[in-house]
Amino acid sequence: MTISGRAAIAGIGATEFSKESGRSELQLAAEACIAAIKDAGLTPSDVDGLVTFTQDANSEIAVARELGIPELNFFSRVDYGGGAACGTVAHAAMAVASGQAETVVCYRAFNERSGHRFGQASTRSTPGTTTLEFSWHLPYGFATPAAWVAMQARRYMHEYGATSEDFGRVAVAMRRHAATNPKAWFHDRPITLEEHQASRWVVEPLHLFDCCQESDGGVAIVVTGADRARDLAHPPAMVRAAAQGAGPNQMMMFGYYETDVAALPAMGVVGRSLWSRSGLGPADVQTAILYDHFTPFVLMQLEELGFCDRGEAKDLVADGGIELGGRLPVNPNGGQLGEAYIHGMNGIAEAVRQIRGTSVNQVPEVENVLVTAGTGVPTSGLILGRDE
Amino acid sequence: MHDRLMALAAELTAKGEVPVGPCPDPVNAAMIRNWTQTLGDPNPLWAEYAPPAMIQVWSMPGLGPRRPAVSEPALAMLHEAGYTGIVATDCEQTYDRYLRLGEELRITLRLGDVVGPKQTALGEGYFVTWYQTWYAGDERVAEMLFRVLKFRPRDSGGAAPSPDGRYPLRPAVNADTRFFWEGVEAGELRIQRCAECGELRHPPGPMCPHCHATKRDHVTASGRGVVHSYVVHHHPPVPGQRSPFVVALVELEEGVRMVGNLLGCTRDDVRIGMPVELSFQRMDDELTLPQWRPAGAVPEETAAPQEAQVAGGPALRIELTPTFVISTALATRDFMPVHHDPARARAQGSKDIFLNILTTMGLVQRCALDLVPDARLSGIAIRLGVPAYAGETLVLTGHRSGDHTLEVRGAVSLGDHVTATVRLKEPA
Repeated sequence: MTISGRAAIAGIGATEFSKESGRSELQLAAEACIAAIKDAGLTPSDVDGLVTFTQDANSEIAVARELGIPELNFFSRVDYGGGAACGTVAHAAMAVASGQAETVVCYRAFNERSGHRFGQASTRSTPGTTTLEFSWHLPYGFATPAAWVAMQARRYMHEYGATSEDFGRVAVAMRRHAATNPKAWFHDRPITLEEHQASRWVVEPLHLFDCCQESDGGVAIVVTGADRARDLAHPPAMVRAAAQGAGPNQMMMFGYYETDVAALPAMGVVGRSLWSRSGLGPADVQTAILYDHFTPFVLMQLEELGFCDRGEAKDLVADGGIELGGRLPVNPNGGQLGEAYIHGMNGIAEAVRQIRGTSVNQVPEVENVLVTAGTGVPTSGLILGRDE
Repeated sequence: MHDRLMALAAELTAKGEVPVGPCPDPVNAAMIRNWTQTLGDPNPLWAEYAPPAMIQVWSMPGLGPRRPAVSEPALAMLHEAGYTGIVATDCEQTYDRYLRLGEELRITLRLGDVVGPKQTALGEGYFVTWYQTWYAGDERVAEMLFRVLKFRPRDSGGAAPSPDGRYPLRPAVNADTRFFWEGVEAGELRIQRCAECGELRHPPGPMCPHCHATKRDHVTASGRGVVHSYVVHHHPPVPGQRSPFVVALVELEEGVRMVGNLLGCTRDDVRIGMPVELSFQRMDDELTLPQWRPAGAVPEETAAPQEAQVAGGPALRIELTPTFVISTALATRDFMPVHHDPARARAQGSKDIFLNILTTMGLVQRCALDLVPDARLSGIAIRLGVPAYAGETLVLTGHRSGDHTLEVRGAVSLGDHVTATVRLKEPA
């Protein structure tokens, strides 16, 4: 059995994206969920499953209480930070395809800017094996996601001759997309490559503008059976494939020890699964939502997913290939660099809009959209497609 | 902190000479014999008089209770303010007269001054100077100035203590990783090895991913590697670290990779592929971290051209065997572990055990009297340079620089260990 073609995204919802939401994370989650349920033309009593991130502070039952969902048949969590994003939809799609649930809402809500900020240095970590894993790094002040990504970025530059300007072109493209998206935090605020180069160092080789913003907000996604989705308010975004992946000798965010440091093996695993399960290939997607918490990993994802050869992403980007009108428009919403950092979930919502044809930065004739989740960590991905 | 420090220094200086008490033993033949034998100084004069450069030996507490040093409150305040590094820079002894067997001595201490902040090659710091004075009865027989630089380590990764003085970023340790951290304490960098198939692995874990054996041992890394990748951290602030600092992914000679700070190297000097070598960094009383430095690097302020030998007298070559380093430390009643325990020396960031200052003083005296055998010394002033590690050869050379002065220089492979001015009582 495959979930391909058996599950679909029927609703999307979100709060506004801000730097200070002024309300609790549970309220953000509840607001995003009710918006997604209404968008699908459903009511909370139609929902019988909830999935979120292990990192989310809002339990499924707490969200169910707020929404007045009478009964839950399915609840599940996905681990590894932003790597969970598409994984929530994968779990929901498995649940509806296998009959474990009828309609599942995936959600992620946090006050990541006004509350606990991930960008600050970690000085302690969660108990268990993760603590031991971090113990090879934190004592050296190697304690932020930007630093962990920078270590791979530096090696990538060394191996393939990529430069800070190549990373900068990703940031410029994302901010250009965000500039025409009224929901984006950086609406109407594009940047130039010179401004990128002049922005201060965060962790060399990463400038400030190589790092995504920190945001408050919530996003929810309604997943249900394909047949049921066809009867609802919007044309369904069919789940053509969903995949999770971890690479060899995988650690939380430190793929340094045996494998190629200038690569993202977990994303390679996800990419191969997505293409084989969907029967599609890179030429079959018209736009991609690539997890862009840090610019270098957008380049490396283009390579891992087969949109270009190793080391050639810089050329694809230099030619405007990832911009609207380019060969593969990436993150038409502005991505996490431009719209908001909601741990990848806002990207799934944008992919659904592209399938529906309702994005403010609509790519023409979209049939299929590839979406990825957090990079550097064990991750996940989706291919969403138009109903045939 | 500066104003409080200056006030404290003024208060301590105002106390003047603080009596410390009698020296443990009278000037005696047994201690002199130990000293002359270990330092290799058979001068017949030492049958009659105590070697003047031995003056500090008489007042060393040895393994007995430590006496409170007059400089300690100032040094403690500096330490708490982040000036965690300390290095002795100067030692000047003045000999009023030579001592004879049987004389009973007592000492006093007084704080000289605290000067700073100064920008030095090691980092910003304060020079703290104090004096020790020896008396026989009421007669002053010798005085010593001792100066240290208490500095805020400029090295990347320099420990900035948390308010409780502990380095805040501590590794978690469990049954699978304890061997590694025990190795660090013992001055070894250990790599897990599968006891069945021999596969090396870092970071370590309980089951060999290749053959699934759970039996494991370890090898000790050579400490040589190359930078595989690196970052320069600027923002946000990280507790315990001073930005910018370098974090490197080092590929060890043995084939495994390890993350650590790259010390003793500016961010502009780091390159992928550059050779680095292991260096243990003491973070606080309980934690040492394995760190990395550019291979073969010499601290900049102490690097000196080898060929710049002082012209003059014959060179005195001392092979610094471990026995020499250890026996001279003990003969000068200096029981600091860095002079006899290689593991403890490495744990404190040193390459190996190294010569103690009291011995350096004695060797300068020996070199001066080789040059001018009949001279009576009235003082020795030394400036300290690089450590003289076990395994090195210390080459001392001297020359007359005036009617009453000799210049002595002692060099090891890293550069000058000591430069000294020896003052003579009368022209010889």
